[in-house]
Amino acid sequence: MSQSAPPADAVVFPKSHSFPPFWTIQRVPATRQTQFKHWSNTIQLYCRTLKIWRMNLSDHLSSPLFHNYKLDRWLELEEAQMILEWMASEEGSKRAEWVNESSSGKAGDLAGRTTAWIYWRRPEEWADVIMDWIDSTGQKGSVVTIHEITQGEATTSQEFHGMDPDILEKTLQILIKRGKAQIFGASGEQGVKFF
Amino acid sequence: MLFKNLELSTALRPELASEESLLFVQDGVGLYEGKYKLPLHQNGHVYLTSHRICYVDNTEARKNSIAIDLRDVGHYDFYAGFLKSSAKITISPKPSKHLSGLVSQVDRLEFSTPRGSPSPGPGNWISPIPIRVPSKPSVTWICSICSFSNLLSPSFDINTANQNTVLQPCQTCGIKPTLAHVLKAAISATAQRPAPDFQQSSVVLNKSHDPSLTQIKEASFQCPRCTFSNHPSLLTCEMCGAPLIASNQNVEMPSIRPLSPGPVLERLEPLSSVEHEKIKLSFRAGGAQIFYERLKGAITQRKWLLTNAPPIPTPVSETDSNKSGKSTPGPESEAVGIAGLELLSNERRKNNATVINSAFSDLEALIASAKDIIALAESLSKKTQGSSAKAILNESVASLGMSATKDMLGSDALYLSELSRTLAEYLTDDRAGVLKNEGGIMTLVDLWARFNRKRNGVELVRPSDFEKAARRWVPLGLPVRLREFKNGLLVVQRHDWTDSKIVGQLLAWFQEFRIFEPVQPVPWDWRLFGRGVSAQEAANHFGWSLGVAIEELEMAEDKGVLCREETPEGIKFWENWLGGNEDKLL
Repeated sequence: MSQSAPPADAVVFPKSHSFPPFWTIQRVPATRQTQFKHWSNTIQLYCRTLKIWRMNLSDHLSSPLFHNYKLDRWLELEEAQMILEWMASEEGSKRAEWVNESSSGKAGDLAGRTTAWIYWRRPEEWADVIMDWIDSTGQKGSVVTIHEITQGEATTSQEFHGMDPDILEKTLQILIKRGKAQIFGASGEQGVKFF
Repeated sequence: MLFKNLELSTALRPELASEESLLFVQDGVGLYEGKYKLPLHQNGHVYLTSHRICYVDNTEARKNSIAIDLRDVGHYDFYAGFLKSSAKITISPKPSKHLSGLVSQVDRLEFSTPRGSPSPGPGNWISPIPIRVPSKPSVTWICSICSFSNLLSPSFDINTANQNTVLQPCQTCGIKPTLAHVLKAAISATAQRPAPDFQQSSVVLNKSHDPSLTQIKEASFQCPRCTFSNHPSLLTCEMCGAPLIASNQNVEMPSIRPLSPGPVLERLEPLSSVEHEKIKLSFRAGGAQIFYERLKGAITQRKWLLTNAPPIPTPVSETDSNKSGKSTPGPESEAVGIAGLELLSNERRKNNATVINSAFSDLEALIASAKDIIALAESLSKKTQGSSAKAILNESVASLGMSATKDMLGSDALYLSELSRTLAEYLTDDRAGVLKNEGGIMTLVDLWARFNRKRNGVELVRPSDFEKAARRWVPLGLPVRLREFKNGLLVVQRHDWTDSKIVGQLLAWFQEFRIFEPVQPVPWDWRLFGRGVSAQEAANHFGWSLGVAIEELEMAEDKGVLCREETPEGIKFWENWLGGNEDKLL
């Protein structure tokens, strides 16, 4: 996604990643619940480290995340989908969202679901982070372009640098609802004014 | 005196001596001493063995179980029951020792029996009722239904009696008398108090009818269908072929009462009894007839005399004498070394051959020499020890004595509960160690196969009966239990063999994997996770069958103690580090 992303082997996986039963979807509901929780944490950690905003499962199935080459254990596409599905649910505190949710139709139908936004921070949380940055840099009342927020040199040290435009869109919508921001200008050259 | 303490087995059945064999079992039995009920012995099983009559209480088996040695039984009588009163068997102690006691009772009663020369035999039917209630004059009323003279309860007061007074029903037929009837009797009794002899003798008069009445009852056993009076030993009616026992029970079943109307003895402990009283067994659930027949047989056989008796002479002695006639006496003493040993073993083989030949020549002889045959079979199986089939044979001859057979028990329900007890005994028997050898758990089918094999092809148990019997373990409070796994597999376990105990054992086993380095290097941190095991490994380790191992592992998985890993080689179970121990994984 981003040119500055670190290599995949830079991710330090939690110990559960090398626990062989971790790679089998558990039969007992209570155990499966904790197993998914561990998976959710692992995926969030991986995406945060590698700045992956939008995950395409078929691209990542052979990545170290879903394939432990040392153990020779891997997840099948359906299993990975089950985990993301769980992450997208209330139970998984909505740490993921299918990109084509609306068009894919019924919930639970996993066939068309291959890409999801991974929210290591949810849009509401990003809104707070961006507001903190605006506050700390004294940009309240001034207009910032969207390009400046995600790609500008001023934000390279910020976590939201390189943010997926769709997630930023969702974040800004939340700020507008809160009455903290206002968007104006034509598409492609949009500016945001923070209050 | 008559009552002895009774040792019970783990399954709450009487512990039998080596020579003793079980003849009959009946439940729903209460005990009387004389006319009085023994309050702690009103609902139990009665086991008739070749040596004893054992009463095992249903509620407080360990506390209230007693036995009567058949050797102490002098006289026994059968009373077939009448209207509402249950069939009873009266057992009198042997008179010889208690003669003086009877004399004193007779003296005090001043009956028609001549003073100083009481007949000590069983024909002595004097009731000691007046001694029981010496404080009050005995008042009797004659039942208008059966003309039995009943003793009026001491609490009955003529002055205060009214319509609400609770009247004791007739002790023989169980029909309640009218108040007027009892009052009349009471008033006439008080009027005649100066001359109680008359009243007493009328009691004796009625009593003297009793034995004859019993005799009639005993001689005939009325068919419930056609009312033909059958001989008591017949099982089906001679006239119409109706089953006598079964229908007899059906007739009597509704008459089972939680409380029979007879007076209750104030004293609770019969064991301390020093009085020489007749014991009555009241058969409230039927079965008295067969019990009586078997009791008669057992007392006639006097098996207890055989305990220290010399072995029955066999034709062996004849052949011996023949042999000694041919050869010089005592050749063994002369032959030494290998020749002597060979001669000795030859002798032994010949001896065995004659024992076997004579035993199987006819059934009577087989019964007579059962002891020898069992000893021989044991020694033969010992010689070929090592194979498990022989061990089972060995085990089977040793356990011939204590088995419930359908023929021994009247009803199906009783058969099942006795079978259930027999099974529990078999399972918990430390000598055989059936359950222990199987790792504390075995499938019901395995048990069924082994149990029927043990019976040597005789009196085999039907699978349906077997399962029903096994399901009675828990209701009967026996030390084994039947457990049904999710997939319907039925297994047998000790009752204290709980899931948590299994889980503890599993965890202890898994812990070893984190301590000892695995033989082959593994790509994960074995110090942290140990390793996974297949069901087969668990079965081998704990001595379980594979089905049991799978079920126990899945049980532990359901409890969140284990988790699974599906590999191409099959399912492996691991300690569950996914749940609970989150710290370890982060």
